[in-house]
Amino acid sequence: MPAYHSTFPVDPQTDRMVGNIVLLPLNTKFRGPAYPANSDYDIIDECLDLFRANSFFKNFEIKSPADRLLIYGILFINECLSHLRSTTNYNEAVKISTNVALDNFVLPGSSGFPLNTVYTVPLEDHNAMELLRTYIQQFRQELAMRLLDRLYRDSKERPSKFWLAFTRRKFMNKSL
Amino acid sequence: MSYMNNPAVVMDNGTGLTKLGFAGNDSPSWVFPTAIATAQPSNAKQTSSNAVSAGASSVANTGQSSGSGRQYFGNSTSATAFNSLSSGSALMSNNLAGKRGTEDLDFYIGNEALIAAQGPSYGLSYPIRHGQVENWDHMERFWENSIFKYLRTEPEDHCFLLTEPPLNPPENREQVAEIFFESFNCAGLYIAVQAVLALAASWTSSKVIDRSLTGTVIDSGDGVTHVIPVAEGYVIGSAIKNIPIAGRDITLFIQQLLRERGEEDTSLRTAERIKQEYCYVCPDIVKEFNKFDRDSEKFAQFVVESQEKTRRKVVDVGCERFMAPEIFFNPEIASSDFLTPLPTIVDHTIQACPIDVRKGLYNNIVLSGGSTMFKDFGRRLQRDLKSIVNNRIVQSEYLSGTKSTGVDVQVISHRKQRNAVWFGGSLLAQTAEFKSYCHTKKDYEEIGPEIVRNFSLFNMV
Repeated sequence: MPAYHSTFPVDPQTDRMVGNIVLLPLNTKFRGPAYPANSDYDIIDECLDLFRANSFFKNFEIKSPADRLLIYGILFINECLSHLRSTTNYNEAVKISTNVALDNFVLPGSSGFPLNTVYTVPLEDHNAMELLRTYIQQFRQELAMRLLDRLYRDSKERPSKFWLAFTRRKFMNKSL
Repeated sequence: MSYMNNPAVVMDNGTGLTKLGFAGNDSPSWVFPTAIATAQPSNAKQTSSNAVSAGASSVANTGQSSGSGRQYFGNSTSATAFNSLSSGSALMSNNLAGKRGTEDLDFYIGNEALIAAQGPSYGLSYPIRHGQVENWDHMERFWENSIFKYLRTEPEDHCFLLTEPPLNPPENREQVAEIFFESFNCAGLYIAVQAVLALAASWTSSKVIDRSLTGTVIDSGDGVTHVIPVAEGYVIGSAIKNIPIAGRDITLFIQQLLRERGEEDTSLRTAERIKQEYCYVCPDIVKEFNKFDRDSEKFAQFVVESQEKTRRKVVDVGCERFMAPEIFFNPEIASSDFLTPLPTIVDHTIQACPIDVRKGLYNNIVLSGGSTMFKDFGRRLQRDLKSIVNNRIVQSEYLSGTKSTGVDVQVISHRKQRNAVWFGGSLLAQTAEFKSYCHTKKDYEEIGPEIVRNFSLFNMV
């Protein structure tokens, strides 16, 4: 049984795509271009569910455009965790994660992104790139907040060490 | 013929552990490491570059010069230092014991060897490597102590059942026969292949209907995992596959996870205890992670006490409970050079066998060895293998347009799994026929060591 794949079906005809990245609907209060999701379970929940299991794997075969979003989500979770320490309390963690989420980030597909072999985006199409940038930013903010919910479920004082242990694991041997 | 009434001795010498006991018993009387600690000067001579033993080797040299007049000592296989130091050695030079030095008697085996090796005067060695005997001199002494010090029996009153790994060269069998008949003068000897004994051990399971010696044995110990197909008592040597993942890799993986989490105690010993006490196989890792999130009962705590019981360290046990055995099913998570899951290897092994025995091999997959003891290991293997087989059947039905009769995949777990090989030996050696299958001392003297190249198979009904 290899690494886990996204279960969200993608139809390139009807779903919004930028290059080969799909902009799946999200359940979020953060402002951005994402459509609200039909169900309670969205791609962000899936990223959080699969993060720990998939972090053990070094190989990942992309089966659908949703997998590309999944990869980005998992790498971003790892990025967030690496900014936290075992003593960081919830309020500090909110600040840190918000900064990480809003920080200048490299869009997948553009130069400097570590996994450009799997992402292709229309770099010259300014509107599409702007849409992708705002979507990814919204995605990052929501993912960071929901990650903290899980990290501080048991105690607001310190993050779960069982999550923090995954800081050093690198999914597909890559990090953002 | 006093040996006819005595129970046979069953000895299973593995790379890691030796299992000793008498036929008919439920479990071995002794289980200890296959290790021998010998007096250091013999080692110092072999590795004279060793700085620590420099002093000892100089003693060895003087010993040799003073003992040079005695030809017997010059011929001995190990260093003679101890002879010259012991005052009585000159007197012994004309009896048989004097042929070898008294340092020949100065050794320990098993757990005693591990303790002795902590001191400066003994060197530890493991005479069995990869299942096969590497150092015959050490092995002979190991057996000697096993028989006289642990089992406390007279070899001439007992038959012996020994085990060998698959693909053991017949020369090794002859060597064993020479030692057992000539050094120990044993009454009778039978050498059985470990995989066949493991199959016999599975007869205790209620799932086994017919007592056949056809099946696939998955033997996982500390160092390596073998998948061995056996058809009617004969090992199909060409199809055997080895997997470089076994107990030690699981322990190391647990240690790595503990270190990543920054636990207080991350020693190999702790990791090993956690492996033995808490690990199990889960059907699906993601679901299992979620179960841990919902239910904190799943987490365990392992307490390490220092030797003086003054300090206690608490180690939390989390996802390694199910992630560690997962490396059999997803080797990718722990190693980068070996990526094929165990169920796929088992499937490849059986596919490499003659077509007329394949059904029997799928039908009777038997587990053996400590690393197969994880809860639900057999169930997961059966599920994964079944899906591989069913996919192939669907494929071939589609391509050929005919209906398959189906292949029944059955993995058998039983309570005797840990010492399955020994238990199988105990089971076979307690039968009335066993002694007639043994080669006796008389046969050996008549024909010679090559007699042990062939043993007739047990045909149990």
